[in-house]
Amino acid sequence: MIVRNVDIAVLGAGPAGMAAALAAARGGADTVLIERENHLGGILKQCVHDGFGLLRFGEMLSGPEYAGRFVHMVREAGLAVLTSTFVAEARRDGDESVLMLVDRGGVTELHAKAVVLATGCRERSARQVMIQGTRPAGVMTAGAAQYYVNVLGYLPTTRCVILGSGDIGLIMARRLTLEGAEVLGVFEAKPTPSGLSRNIAQCLDDFGIQLHLSRTVTRIFGDDRVEAVETAAVDEKMRPVAGTEERLSCDGVILSVGLIPENEVAEALGVPMDSVTRGPLMDQNGQTQVPGIFVCGNASHVNDLVDYVTESGERAGAAAAALVAGHRTRRLLPLIADSTVLLYAVPQFVDMDAPESGAVVYFRSREELGVTVVQVTAGEETVTCHRYQHLRPPEMERLEIDLSRIPSDVTSLNIGTESVAVAEVKS
Amino acid sequence: MCGVEMSRRSQRIQQRLQQQVKPNISCREGHDSIILEGVVDNWAQVVRAGKLAAHEGYKGVVNRLAVEGLTLPPPRSPKLKDTALDGLHVDVLIVGGGVTGCAVARELTRKNIVVMLIEKEDDLATHASSRNNGMIHPGIEPHPGTRRAHFNVRGNAMYDTVAAELAVPFTRCGSLILYQERWERFLGPLFMARARQNGVPGVHLVNRNEALALEPHLTRDFSGALHMSSTGIISPYLLTIAYAENAVRNSARVSLETMVVDMKVREGRITAVRTNRGTLFPRVVVNAAGIYADAVADMAGDQFFTIHPRKGEIIILDRKKGHLISHVIAKPRLLQVKSDTKGGGVNRTIDGNILVGPNAVEQPFREDYSTDRDHIELMLRRYLPLVPELSPTDLITYFAGTRPATYEEDFIVERSQYVRNLVHAAGIQSPGLASAPAIAEEVARLTVNALGEVTQVGDNPTFDGHRQGIPEPERMTWKERDALIQSRPDYGVIVCRCEGISKGQVVDALRSPISVTSLDAVKRRVRVGMGRCQGGFCTPQVLRIIGEQNGEQLATITKKGGDSFILAAETKTVRRGS
Amino acid sequence: MRKLTCIVCPNGCSIHVNQDVDPWNIVGNLCPRGIDFARKELTNPTRTVCSTVRTSFATVRRLPVRTRGEVPLASVRSVMSEISRLVVDREARTGDTLIENVAGTGVAVVATADLADLIEWEDCDGRPICSGD
Repeated sequence: MIVRNVDIAVLGAGPAGMAAALAAARGGADTVLIERENHLGGILKQCVHDGFGLLRFGEMLSGPEYAGRFVHMVREAGLAVLTSTFVAEARRDGDESVLMLVDRGGVTELHAKAVVLATGCRERSARQVMIQGTRPAGVMTAGAAQYYVNVLGYLPTTRCVILGSGDIGLIMARRLTLEGAEVLGVFEAKPTPSGLSRNIAQCLDDFGIQLHLSRTVTRIFGDDRVEAVETAAVDEKMRPVAGTEERLSCDGVILSVGLIPENEVAEALGVPMDSVTRGPLMDQNGQTQVPGIFVCGNASHVNDLVDYVTESGERAGAAAAALVAGHRTRRLLPLIADSTVLLYAVPQFVDMDAPESGAVVYFRSREELGVTVVQVTAGEETVTCHRYQHLRPPEMERLEIDLSRIPSDVTSLNIGTESVAVAEVKS
Repeated sequence: MCGVEMSRRSQRIQQRLQQQVKPNISCREGHDSIILEGVVDNWAQVVRAGKLAAHEGYKGVVNRLAVEGLTLPPPRSPKLKDTALDGLHVDVLIVGGGVTGCAVARELTRKNIVVMLIEKEDDLATHASSRNNGMIHPGIEPHPGTRRAHFNVRGNAMYDTVAAELAVPFTRCGSLILYQERWERFLGPLFMARARQNGVPGVHLVNRNEALALEPHLTRDFSGALHMSSTGIISPYLLTIAYAENAVRNSARVSLETMVVDMKVREGRITAVRTNRGTLFPRVVVNAAGIYADAVADMAGDQFFTIHPRKGEIIILDRKKGHLISHVIAKPRLLQVKSDTKGGGVNRTIDGNILVGPNAVEQPFREDYSTDRDHIELMLRRYLPLVPELSPTDLITYFAGTRPATYEEDFIVERSQYVRNLVHAAGIQSPGLASAPAIAEEVARLTVNALGEVTQVGDNPTFDGHRQGIPEPERMTWKERDALIQSRPDYGVIVCRCEGISKGQVVDALRSPISVTSLDAVKRRVRVGMGRCQGGFCTPQVLRIIGEQNGEQLATITKKGGDSFILAAETKTVRRGS
Repeated sequence: MRKLTCIVCPNGCSIHVNQDVDPWNIVGNLCPRGIDFARKELTNPTRTVCSTVRTSFATVRRLPVRTRGEVPLASVRSVMSEISRLVVDREARTGDTLIENVAGTGVAVVATADLADLIEWEDCDGRPICSGD
């Protein structure tokens, strides 16, 4: 059994991990990039649609193209990359982390001074949204369907219903239709769509696929394969309303009912979590409450734009390298989100002693809002404020705080809205 | 007993049913049983009538009551049809590939005889044997003097040996039944008396502090508990498969997708058994057909019981909460001592998940494994408070199973009284899993007796009761795991990230002694897809491995045999009208 | 009054177009691209098409592709048909033209990944397959 030492172990070679590893190496740290699949690029490899990279590259790239740019950079930089390598166990050993790696060569015990978690997220399953009925073949998450279609080249269904109007579900509605399947409709339990408006337009409207709001799939029928589903209207508490059931014949049910950050390794390392974001509590550089353990990308909270994922990876990687180069203490101020108007804001803590004067904050509004001013305050002082034309929960927003504007005696920061104009969004 | 007496008894029962259930029910005697006939309004009436007619001195209740407007679907049947088994002569034909049938097969291979087990599904353990909570009951719940009590206690004691021989992980975790103060006076002595009557070892009353010392994460809302140290936990489907694999290693044959169509019976003996794969000529037939054991008995002309399917739903919670408990935790139901089914509770499975349930619902469908939201939510509300740190968000899946219960609510483990070469192992509901080793021993003994009437039966000199299972890297030390991977690199390629299952395990599942090809069959053997992502990430990888190992196109791979194809068509080949 | 969702960037601005005046009154866009989009969408709507094509390589069955530029919305289906008929049998690289002029639109179809990468990374056993094997 091999024992290895490294400065920084980056877990996950999707866009977040690749960016983190590049930044860490640039920062002078001895870095290894660990990936459980046999390729780099993470989920992007199967996202053949475009829309990636407008902020980062000023282009509308497809997933593989965006990933390809970073894979190229990783190769050029000569980074140490371990693919088909699985972290079977993670534990703390004093100030370090010990990772047990499993690959086809055997088991490796890796000691790392710092760890960057870029482990992405998983999809919620049918039973986790209380779909009842039988368990035939033909029920799968949108990500799994995407893999079948784009990587293996198979249609997992010829006539399906999609539950969930998140972007993945919308993208798959279009993809399946283009490949010749019939998408009978997209059902969304919430009263408003979960995905980007542009995806409603170019994935549903373009193809005449109906979006049914406040309606969900309650039951699946079929012994061997899916034969039908039952849909029902839901009330404000999102519970099915008796008497509104309808039966639809189909041979597939595609689920796009939410993403959950994958943080099994974080939890094993004792990292405190945020129950709202389902990611670790962290500062603006992605450092968690456990010094030396960083998180970035979708593992910290579910992002919409890969550009932000890359950005968060770069910050985490750079900060990890800086930490390894010269330890310093942090002075953490909690950044408290006003939960009446915001679903969440990350980071949950701002490190006042960070060398960079700017800190990036991401947040999501709780409801659809019209013109809104979002502000960050420190006691009575307004640190920053930004005006938005509209805010929607599915569209994560970003703003920057100038740390030098924060008085030294405050003990916390608040992020909320100044004046709220709740506008009815007419469809 | 004389004819007049019997008629009077059946008349009395008929009167009772007509008064208490529905006036048009009629009863008659036949084949030592009481036969109920007529049409009623709903299934609850069918069950009620059956129960009222039970334990009245007849060998069993044959309940032919029908429900107005209700047509029951036929059994799920294999699509396969060929003559692969046609003309085969065997010593023993076992009908049913659940834990009972497979355990019987293995026991029978201790003898020098030809054993064939047939199962209608594409894999073993697809019905009740994979749809229970894996609990090896201590034996305190069954009524004293019943076969359930007898076989439970006897079987429970055999598990250390059986599990070790078959390389199936097993733990005697113990169980705790928590009760409130007001019941303490009744339940304590009642349970202790029952334990004595049934011969259950290791039963003690403990106070709250003692219970909390055993299980620190329990609710505080109880006053005392009954601790039963003989309770165990196992993977019921892995055990079933292990039994069958060991049987096959000792020269038994297993034929999947094989279903009995009818039987030829002459002069009180089964002479031929027709299946979808040809006609077999067994010397002795063992009826271990689970939810359809009554149908098989009927085919042999020996139906003296009817199975009424009692559905049970079970919830599985995330493995990361598994560390919270180690015992099986239950609450007593007020009428538990009279009830036919367990109270249900919370337990940790052998793989470290938390399992909640089961409930019990009488309903007419034998193979309907659909679940109901209200039932699931009720179970969460009812059982999660036993361990306050559990949350509904820990839920990763739920499923259902059907208990093959007779109206007498007891096992039938005996030679047929009418058909000399038929042995029944029927009505095996809970505690069927705990009882399996003991039932198998007894059924094997009865079968060998029946066989001995027509032929010489000697011992099998090459019998080896030891099975080498598929390696489980997660249960090894790092050094052991490293060595395994050095010799088998596939064990270093992880395909199921939630459970840490390797390609090597999937490959070995496909190469196991009983050949299987479906996703669910692989899942039962090595647990891929049982984790929190429920197969989202690993299913495509497992499909590729199945395709690679079996030389199959991905589109031909099924979830569970039959038409359950995972993939519908290749892309670039489907054209819809514009 | 027509209401459109602009698909140029993730903002997805809700754009209202009043076609009764000349020039059209276009509001709701956060940037000038929205104006161009609205005009085009109502006269000659176009889209990019992203898909996959078949390959002749057993271990990598599909290669992701896209149109280099936008094609008329009405021709998307015929573009998909032509893409479906293609089988790539060489080691295409990101940006390689696979179809010069797809379905008469004048737009090319290009690869969006290096096939060699996919072969190298997608082998079931993780063994890199050298080109020529």
